[in-house]
Amino acid sequence: MVGAGAWSHRWAALLALATVGCGGATPPSAAPDAPGRRWLVATPVDLAGVNELVSGGVRFSQEILRLLFLGLLEEQPDYAAHPPSFRPALAESWELSPARDALTVRLRADARWSDGRPITARDVLFSHRAQTSPEVAWSYADSKDAISELTALDERTLVFRFREVYPYQVVDANDGLILPAHAWEEIPFSAWRGSGERFRERLVTSGPYSLAEWIPGVELTLAPNPHFPAPLGRADRAVTFRVVPDAAALVERLAAGAFDFADGLSPYDAVRVARSPRLRLLTTDARQIDFVGWNASREPFDDPEVRRALTLGIDRQALVDALWQGRARVAAGPVPANVWARDPELVPWPYDPAAARTLLAARGFADRDGDGIVERDGKPFRFELSTNSENRVRADACVLIQEQLRRIGVEVEIRTLEIHALVARNEAREFDATLAGWSIDTTLDFRPYFHSSARAEGWNWVGYAEPEVDRALEEARRQGDAEATRPHLVRLQRLLHRDQPYTFLWEPQRISAARVELAGVETTPLSAFGTLPHWRRTAPAR
Amino acid sequence: MRRHLLSRLLTAGVLLWLVLTASFALLHALPGGPGAVVEDPRVPPAQRVRLRAVLGLDRPLPERYARFLAAAARGDWGISFSSQRPVTRVLADAAPHTLALGAAALALEFLLGVPLGVAAARRAGSALDHGVRALSLVLWSIPSFALALALLLVFALEWTWFPAGGPSTPGAAAWPLLPRLGDRLAHLALPALALGLPAAAATARFVRAALLEVAGSPHLVAARARGLHPRTIFLRHALLPAAGPMVELAGLSCAALLSGTLAVELIFARPGLGRAAFDALAARDYPVLLGATALSAAGVLAASFAAELLHAAVDPRRRARFERA
Repeated sequence: MVGAGAWSHRWAALLALATVGCGGATPPSAAPDAPGRRWLVATPVDLAGVNELVSGGVRFSQEILRLLFLGLLEEQPDYAAHPPSFRPALAESWELSPARDALTVRLRADARWSDGRPITARDVLFSHRAQTSPEVAWSYADSKDAISELTALDERTLVFRFREVYPYQVVDANDGLILPAHAWEEIPFSAWRGSGERFRERLVTSGPYSLAEWIPGVELTLAPNPHFPAPLGRADRAVTFRVVPDAAALVERLAAGAFDFADGLSPYDAVRVARSPRLRLLTTDARQIDFVGWNASREPFDDPEVRRALTLGIDRQALVDALWQGRARVAAGPVPANVWARDPELVPWPYDPAAARTLLAARGFADRDGDGIVERDGKPFRFELSTNSENRVRADACVLIQEQLRRIGVEVEIRTLEIHALVARNEAREFDATLAGWSIDTTLDFRPYFHSSARAEGWNWVGYAEPEVDRALEEARRQGDAEATRPHLVRLQRLLHRDQPYTFLWEPQRISAARVELAGVETTPLSAFGTLPHWRRTAPAR
Repeated sequence: MRRHLLSRLLTAGVLLWLVLTASFALLHALPGGPGAVVEDPRVPPAQRVRLRAVLGLDRPLPERYARFLAAAARGDWGISFSSQRPVTRVLADAAPHTLALGAAALALEFLLGVPLGVAAARRAGSALDHGVRALSLVLWSIPSFALALALLLVFALEWTWFPAGGPSTPGAAAWPLLPRLGDRLAHLALPALALGLPAAAATARFVRAALLEVAGSPHLVAARARGLHPRTIFLRHALLPAAGPMVELAGLSCAALLSGTLAVELIFARPGLGRAAFDALAARDYPVLLGATALSAAGVLAASFAAELLHAAVDPRRRARFERA
């Protein structure tokens, strides 16, 4: 646990001298916020807002809001062998009806807002109304589409009724945080967009922390919430998240010991951090897949054999070694290796440039003019590979892929674009190949990615259409139990492995760094701060 | 004179409108559409359509432009897509940090640059002159971001003489006034140096060149012939005529410092206007971007206008031209 660094001691001494004769002013070292009282965490981004339904924001914001607000249940990162389980949060129990068309939830009796008011069914009903309100227009409101009705049986008991039976009803019912009706109900839904300040002024929280101070763009301090239920584990120290937007400055300050913890480091940052004796690196699977998507509406990417040849021509292990330095693994499909539904027999296509050249030759490609690039019908095999410029790993990967594909006679032109421009181009299908990535959620509902209907509206940018894949996805959705989707998801993975609409590149790890004396830190794909209330120091800070 | 001032104000108004119109058109022409919140590819397309309607982004562009101009004329710059806060509040939070940094850098530029330029000019050809020229060339050649990183590494992280970033120490808001003020100044030192040193180098070279240019002019020869004291000659007959261009330079410096704060604010984690605009650009937060553009353009126009007035105040020739106009 640290303060502002060694400079503060010198300046504090000078400044304390300056206060002599100023009417008994408290010297900084005796102030309640003196170094040593709180955890200090570096973050490149700020909290977007305190109301998740309108503030959007990146992963950091979502994880901070989960320290301020509880959901009904807490999804556990135990999905390696089976679908993820849940543990009680605001709900102490929950039960699906035998017909699986209703979910009854019982709220815990000791749940309180940070102002001491009890958390009741009214809050859950209010949250559901807000989540489904067209005026609020929550980005993820579609998770509530299958819920036909939510009713309160009493102050602590609610029933979700579903329009259909499907594998992740509990996930959908649990999606979204429970918001304080008594604090925010007065703000009409039509005014929610634009009421960032009002939400903050009337903020009460249900999570282990409350918001003690927030200076936008500078820092955010969370203090323990004294009304948080003790059985769920109360925090005993405040934490300040300091915004350091420049990655180089963040890493240097981190390595110099100015912070207790930082998350979201790149593999390049990790190399610098690993050299610091003050820090230790923490890694966990990120549940993310990066890939090259081949635009199947354009020749020659409409041919699965050509796509397979390209996959065989990309040395993904070399990419992982060079770019991630052991902090990623080669991907074989859309289901990460640490997720229960992964096909155990699936093996990534090997790097085999000879086989790639043979496949291309079989599809009519040959280097007839001796320039090193294969042609078909007089047209050289040349394409554009685009990616987002902000992601240095992806930009570097494009260069390595360019070099590797040149060895099988394919010429790649690299185009790096700002992320919004890239997405716009991809959504308009104006690309040959694109290097991008997905975060995989635990519902494993891949319809928006691979179903042929998602070519018009969805993320099937590559225009992949395969009736067998459609059937597998629809069968999976029809199951009433997540475990029962396994055979359909396995079939899906095998079909994708055969057709290679995407060359799945790597599954990266989430990289964080903590001071060596900081114990109890456990990062998971769900959050870097899930164990924050239990952090402790094992040795005196330097 | 009054007509001239009114004409300049009118021109400034037209320029501001042109800048805003061009910015509005350019932002809406960018591929990818407005707002990372709105265009988040993880959000289902149907939901994105609904969100665009709620935010009024589904209306025709001319209608949005007319609404934007009408609201801006009332001082309403809209709501930030990202933070859901009024743009005026976002900018009001950021502006003091940029103004403090800009003022400190400007002070450094002139308090360091002018004496160095004068000293070099008065001893032209000496070792001091060569030293000032070499040093200013080096400082001028270093981009602000590189200098900022070097200052951060050496003075904040290695020697820990100064804080590494942010506008203040965490929790300093609870400190008494003087320590709090000292803490703010300590946090301002390195960013001001990163921004002010290259500018001081440029100013030193400018002042030296301006003074050497007037050194051989007939009015100085006449002053010497009249037997005036060298200090009087220098102050009244050399430095004063060069003051007008220096004032103009100060106006230009204000504009350059405003636009140059971005890298320094990012590296030193200062939540100023440059960073607000950068974050807004990354998130395609159009209302904040347009508000920041307007504020920046207004600042540049105001600085340039103020410099022109000051120039007229110190230079009778310029004043006479104003009056004729």
